Amino acid sequence: MADFKAEVFQNEFLAEGATDVHAVVSVTCTNAGTAGQSGQGEAAEIVIVDTSGSMDMPASKIVAARRAAKVALGEIVDGTWFAVISGHSVAQMVYPSHAGMAKMTDVTRREATHMIDALRAGGATAIGAWIGAATELFSQVQSAQRHAILLTDGKIEGEPASALPQALAAAQGQFQCDCRGIGSDWVVDELRTIADALLGTVDIIAKPDDLEADFEAMIRTSMSRGVADARLRVWAPQGSEVLFVRQVAPTVEDLTAKAVQVAPLVREFPTGAWSDESRDYHVAVRVPVAALGNERLAARVEVVVNDEVVAKSLVKATWSADANLTTRIDPAVAHYTGQAQLADAIQKGLAAKAAGDDRTATVLLGEAAKIAHESGNEDTTRLLSKVVDVVDAETGTVRLKSNIERTDEMALDTRSTKTTRIRRQP
Amino acid sequence: MTDSELNCPACSAPIAADDTFCEACGAQLHGSASPDPGSLPQSPSIGAQPPAASEDVTAPIPRTTVTSGVCAQCGGRILEDGFCGTCGTKARSPRDHWSEQPEPWIGGVCDKGIVHTANEDAMALAATPDGSLSILVVCDGVTSAPHSDRAALAASRAACSYLTSVSLPAPTKAAAKSVAAEVSYWTEALQAATTEANGAAVGVAHTLGDPAEPPSCTYVAAVVADSLITVAWCGDSRAYWLPDSGAARQLTVDHSLGTELIASGKSPAEAEADPAFHTISRWLGADSVDHSPEIASQPIDGPGWLLVCSDGLWNYASALDEMRTLVSDLGAATGDDPLPLAAALVDWANAAGGHDNITAALARCDPSLRLEPEGKSRG
Repeated sequence: MADFKAEVFQNEFLAEGATDVHAVVSVTCTNAGTAGQSGQGEAAEIVIVDTSGSMDMPASKIVAARRAAKVALGEIVDGTWFAVISGHSVAQMVYPSHAGMAKMTDVTRREATHMIDALRAGGATAIGAWIGAATELFSQVQSAQRHAILLTDGKIEGEPASALPQALAAAQGQFQCDCRGIGSDWVVDELRTIADALLGTVDIIAKPDDLEADFEAMIRTSMSRGVADARLRVWAPQGSEVLFVRQVAPTVEDLTAKAVQVAPLVREFPTGAWSDESRDYHVAVRVPVAALGNERLAARVEVVVNDEVVAKSLVKATWSADANLTTRIDPAVAHYTGQAQLADAIQKGLAAKAAGDDRTATVLLGEAAKIAHESGNEDTTRLLSKVVDVVDAETGTVRLKSNIERTDEMALDTRSTKTTRIRRQP
Repeated sequence: MTDSELNCPACSAPIAADDTFCEACGAQLHGSASPDPGSLPQSPSIGAQPPAASEDVTAPIPRTTVTSGVCAQCGGRILEDGFCGTCGTKARSPRDHWSEQPEPWIGGVCDKGIVHTANEDAMALAATPDGSLSILVVCDGVTSAPHSDRAALAASRAACSYLTSVSLPAPTKAAAKSVAAEVSYWTEALQAATTEANGAAVGVAHTLGDPAEPPSCTYVAAVVADSLITVAWCGDSRAYWLPDSGAARQLTVDHSLGTELIASGKSPAEAEADPAFHTISRWLGADSVDHSPEIASQPIDGPGWLLVCSDGLWNYASALDEMRTLVSDLGAATGDDPLPLAAALVDWANAAGGHDNITAALARCDPSLRLEPEGKSRG
C-alpha cells in the first residue's frame, strides 16, 4: 500500500481585516508499486500514433513513430490491457484487429509489433475522433487504471472544430493522456488543451530520433504509477471562497475549474495516478474576517485514495496586530506565485508575438526572463534565450531574436509550465 | 534565615525550624518557616479543598487539543483536528479559558482575551469550607519572555498551595488577639508564599534549561482570614476592596514605571499614554532583581467584594471609581455568586477589546454570615 504525506508551507498570520490565505501543500507518495500490480485492479494502455499524410514529410517521422511505438510496447508490463490506434481521418485499430483491448503477453507483443511495422502514412488529422475511439476502448476495461499516449505532427483539419471539445468532455475522468508533438506543424494550444483535460503532460519532440527515448520514459512512468487515482479534498469554512487550487510542481496546472462539490463545504480535485513522487499545490482561500487573536482553519487539505483519507494537512489563519508576523510571505508561496507568473508571461508573450505585437511580447518575455533568473529556473532561462536576447536579466530587459527556430518557440511554450522546486530550509 | 530568627506565628515564642508544634502555646506550625524553594508545598493542614496546587506546581496545564464538542463561535461540531467543522475556529483549550470556584463565595475566571494567541495569565484559588480562610492568587506572565504562561501557573499554584498549608493562628483568648498580631502573622505567611511562588517560577526556568530570557510573571496573593484581608504583590496585577457601602480601596500600588510617572507629577491619563506605563519594576522569575513583595492589609467591617485581577481587566477601568462602579453595576445583575460576576467582568473586558489576557478572581466577604466554628473565639 502506498504511503502519502502532506506538508503545509504558509504564513498563517493575517493583518487586521485581511482575508486571503495562501499555502503550499506538498504531497509526497512512496511505495506506490506498479500499475495494475498492486492489488488495486488492472492497468490499461493505449498508444495513439498519428499516421496522417504529413507523417511522411519527411518520412523520418513515420519511421521514428513506428520505432517509438514498438519501444513503448516493450515497456508495457505483461498482463496489462493494451491497444494501438492509428490516427488519420478516422481512428483505425492497429492491434488488436477488432475494436477491443488485448492482454499483454510475449505473443500479443510480437503480433502488435508486426502490425506497427506495417503502418503507412495517409489522410488527415482528426484528433477528436482518435480520443473518442480511445474512450470507447477504455470503457471495456472500466475497472482498470487507464492511460494513453498520443503522438501527432499536425493540427486538426479533418473534422469540425466542435469534435475535440465534445470528445474531451466524454473522455474527462475516463483516462489520462500524455501528448507529444513531433516536428513544428502541430499546435501547442490544441495538445495543451487535451493534456490539461486528461491530466497528462505535453511536450515537443523536435527531432524524430528523440521520440523512442521519450515514449520509453512515458510508458515507464505510467507503469510506475501504482496508485490509480488520488484526489485532493479541500474543506473551506462557511462563508469562504476557494480562490484557486493549482498544482505548482513539477508543472503548473490549474485545478480550480475541475472542482467537484462533494459536501456543502468540501470540494474534490482530481490529480490522477501517482508513482513515487512529490507534487506541490498552491491553495488560496478567501475567509471571512475574524477579530485579532482569532485562530481558525482556512482549509483542510486531504489526499483521498479509494474514498479513504491517506494524508491530511491544515491551512490556518491567525489574525495578529504584529506586523513582523503578518508582512512575511512564505518562501514557498512566493516562489510558486512567481513560477505561475513565469508560465503566464511566457504564454501571453508568445501569443502577443504571434499576433505581431512585438512591444507587448518584449515586455512579457522580459518579465519572464527576470523571474526565471531570480528563481533559478535554468531550463526556462535556456529556452528563453533561444527566443530572446537577454540584455539584462536583473531588470528583465530583452530583445526579440530575429531568426527563431519554430521548434524553439514551441519548446518554450510547451515547457513554460515546468517549475523549479523551492529549496527547502533544513 | 537562621533558627534564632524564627518565631511562633501565634505567640511569637522562639521556635526551631523543624518544630511541628509551638512549645510555648501549642500552635500547629507549618513545618518550615523558610521553605526550600524547590520543594513541593505541604499538604493542606486546615481542611482546605485540595486545590489544583496540590499537583506538581511546575507542570503546565497542557494546551490540549480539544477534539470534540460544540464550537463556541458558531455552534458547529468540533472535529478531531481540534477545529470547528463549520467555521474553522480553533476549539478553546482548557489553558485558554478556565474558571475555579472552590467554595460558593470565592470564584474566578482566567481567559486568553481576544488579541493574544496564548493565555499567559494564571490564577489559583482555595478556601476552607467554614469560610475562615480564602486565598486568591493571580499571576500575569511576561509576554516577552517565552513560556511565561508556565511560570505564572506554577507561581500562582505554589503560593496558593503554600498558603493552604499554613495553620490558622491558634485559638487565643479574645483579649490577647490583636489585629496587629494577625497582620504580622499573615505578612510573614505571604512573604514565605511569595518565596515559594518565586521558587516555582525559577523552577520552570530550570526545567527549560535556564534560558537567557527566563519565564517570569507578576504576582498578587490575597488572604481573607476572618475579618482581615492581607495582600502581597510584585508587579502590576491588582487587588481591590470594594465594600457595598463605604469607601472602596485599591489595595495594591503597581510596581511599574506608570506608578513612577504619576509619582513624578504626571496625571494618570498622561502616564497611561506613555508606552512605558506597563513596564513593571518588580516580578517573579529567575531574572527578578527583587522579588520581595509589598504587603498591605484591610480590615473588613461590612459586606463587599475582594477583587484580584490582572491588567487585562483593569486596563479598561484603571481608576478606582471606574472599577467600583463596574463591579457594582455588573454585580447588581449577578448577585452574590462570585463566578457569574467574574465571568461578566471577563466578558466586559473582551467586549472592550480583549487586548490582553484577562483574569478576575473574587471573594464575597460578609462577616455577618461567617460561621463560627467551635473552639474558635473571634473578637
